[in-house]
Amino acid sequence: MPLINFAAREINYKIVYYGCGLCGKTTNLQYIHRKINPDARGKLVSIATEEERTLYFDFLPLTLGTVKGMQTRFHLYTVPGQSYYNASRKLVLQGVDGVIFVADSQITRLDENVESYLNLWDNLLSQGDDLSKLGFVIQMNKRDLSDIFSVEDLNELLNHTDSPVLESSAVTGQGVFETLKVVCKQVIAKTA
Amino acid sequence: MTRRKGLVINDRQLDRCDDLLRKLKEVSGSSFLALISTSGQPITTASDDYHPETLSLASLAASSFAATQQLARILDENEFTLLFHEGNALNLHVSQVTDQVLLIVTFGRETQVGKVRLYTQRAIEVLRQIFEGLEDDATPEMDADFEAAAGTAMDDLFKDV
Repeated sequence: MPLINFAAREINYKIVYYGCGLCGKTTNLQYIHRKINPDARGKLVSIATEEERTLYFDFLPLTLGTVKGMQTRFHLYTVPGQSYYNASRKLVLQGVDGVIFVADSQITRLDENVESYLNLWDNLLSQGDDLSKLGFVIQMNKRDLSDIFSVEDLNELLNHTDSPVLESSAVTGQGVFETLKVVCKQVIAKTA
Repeated sequence: MTRRKGLVINDRQLDRCDDLLRKLKEVSGSSFLALISTSGQPITTASDDYHPETLSLASLAASSFAATQQLARILDENEFTLLFHEGNALNLHVSQVTDQVLLIVTFGRETQVGKVRLYTQRAIEVLRQIFEGLEDDATPEMDADFEAAAGTAMDDLFKDV
C-alpha cells in the first residue's frame, strides 16, 4: 500500500522493474529519464558495478503533479537481475505497490526468464503482502531482435496471473511509457 | 519478513511529528532531520538552510538501513537499530522508529555524536507512540474521483514522449 500523507497532501507509490540480468530494466528507466519532461522527474540514482551491471538498484522519482489536491508521485526502482543478488532484490521489493516484470524475448534467455519469474513470486510470497493489492504487468522486451519467442508462448510460460502484457523495445523506447502507464493506473485503481 | 501494513498520516499526527523534529533539531544541534518510510518515501523534514535532495536521500537511506538489518541477521545479531556514517564535514545518523518508519539526522563536526544519540533516542520514544496507532488502523480513504483525475494527469504527462 502506498504512503499517503493527508497532512502534507502527498501520495507516493513504489513501482519495481523486475527480471533477469540484461533484460532491459535499467534501459527502461534510462529511457524514461531521458524522454520525460525534466520538471516531472528527479535524479536517476544508480548503484551499479564498474561494468554498469546493477549492484543494488536504480531509482527514479516521477511527479504526476497535483491530483485532486494530492501531490502524486511514483518512485521507480529496478532490482539487480543476476541470480546471486537475491538478498538485494528482496530489500527493493519491500513496500512495493506495482511490479513490471521485464521478460527478455530472446529464445536463448528462456531459462533465465523462468527462473526470475519464479523468484519474483517466491520473494513476494515470503513478504506476506496481500498480492490482490499489487499492480502487475509483464513487458515483453527486445521485440526488435530476431530469434525471439512469440508473445503467445511467453504469455503461456510467464503469466499465470493473466496480467496485462505489453511488447517493447526499451532501447528504442517502444512500449516503455505504455507499460509504465498501465501499471501506474493499476496501482491507483487498487487504492482508490 | 513481516506483513506490510499501510501508513496513512493525518494533520494532527504530522503536526506532532513536525513539532518534535523542530525541538530535536534545536536541542541536538543537528542540521537536517527527516522522517521516512522503510520503503524509501519521505514523510516530513526539518531544516533551516540545508536542503539535500530528499527523494534520493530517503530512497538510499532506507535501502542502506534495510541492508544493515540483513547484515545483522547474517551475523546472528537480532537487529542493528542504528546506521551511522562519519564524513569530513557532515555525519549521517539513521535510526529505526517503528517497523515502517526511520529517522534521518544529519549534523556537523561541531556537534557531539553522543548528544545526538541521546536526544534522538528520547524523540524516538515519542514518535513511536504517534506512529503505533497509525499502523494498526491505516485504511486510506481516497476521493472517489482520484482514480479518474490521476488517469487524465498520466495521459497528459506521457502524451508528448
